[in-house]
Amino acid sequence: MAVKDVLIYPDPRLKKVCTPIDHFDQSTRELLQNLVDTMIDAGHSVGIAAPQIGDLYRVAVVDVSNSKLGKKQENHGLLQMVNPEIIETEGSQSVREGCMSVPDYTGNVTRSESIVVQFLDQNQQLQVIRCDRFEAIAIQHELDHLDGLLFLDRVSSLKTDLFRRKQK
Amino acid sequence: MQHFALTIIGRDRPGIVSQVTEILFQGGFNIADSSCSILGGQFSMILIISNPDISTTEQFSDTFKPLEENNLSVYIRTLKEGGETRPEFNGELCMISVYGADKPGIVYQVAKELGDRKINITDLNTKLIGEQDKPVYVMMLEAILPEETELNVVESWMEELKKKLQVDISVRSLAAIEL
Repeated sequence: MAVKDVLIYPDPRLKKVCTPIDHFDQSTRELLQNLVDTMIDAGHSVGIAAPQIGDLYRVAVVDVSNSKLGKKQENHGLLQMVNPEIIETEGSQSVREGCMSVPDYTGNVTRSESIVVQFLDQNQQLQVIRCDRFEAIAIQHELDHLDGLLFLDRVSSLKTDLFRRKQK
Repeated sequence: MQHFALTIIGRDRPGIVSQVTEILFQGGFNIADSSCSILGGQFSMILIISNPDISTTEQFSDTFKPLEENNLSVYIRTLKEGGETRPEFNGELCMISVYGADKPGIVYQVAKELGDRKINITDLNTKLIGEQDKPVYVMMLEAILPEETELNVVESWMEELKKKLQVDISVRSLAAIEL
């Protein structure tokens, strides 16, 4: 479909609570494809949420299978999620996160170690899956975007991002 | 624009940050970067500042005099060109935690292992914790490993130190997850 520009904070759309998809139609499929295309084009990204490309709907995609860290762990590959909800959490893990929408900063965030997430997939099938570790972090990070939360809202300490990342 | 590093330190009390930043704000300064914390009973502030109208320390004249009158020590360093910009790093960020019974030389010996190998320390905090008669020293250190240095190699250096210093040391990757 199309590679979209990734919004950068302080774009106000990143702080909005997104609307659920009531009618899964062609526009939903297009949105999912745009997210996948943008995520892949961003090179380093393992996930992206609809508000990051300016679509204020509860839609996000995650794929940790191509990342250095994700490869080493069990994962579900590409997840296309419509109206995702975390219905169970377990444990906690601390991780340093960075976000395409907040360049030059990373922060230590505490996330659940294991989650059960429920969503409609690209074929409108209801999925309920358990995700652990890195994949769980990625999903929690992307789902926060749907509630207008950035990792800056979760962070306990901030560090300058010491590494230059690929920015579009 | 000329940048300066401003260091302020004094006995901790409420109002230090507000007094310092009021002076900076009123004087037309920008704060480009800063780190401020309590060390012991002292509040310490380190800030990288600039002001379009100021290019030498002489021009500060009495700007920070009110702080010194409030028992704060003020030091200004003039940065060389580009000194305000962080350099670019290549490699893997790792965190080394060191903790154990307090004894002289913990920081030095760990830092020496890294320094001798030209490994850059980017963040370091130490604290003395525990009970007064049994103090425990804790050090948290972040360093950038050059690309040819693997995490397990650092672990092996630290393994030696663990025995020598009789402390616990753990090394872990701190790679920021890019989302």
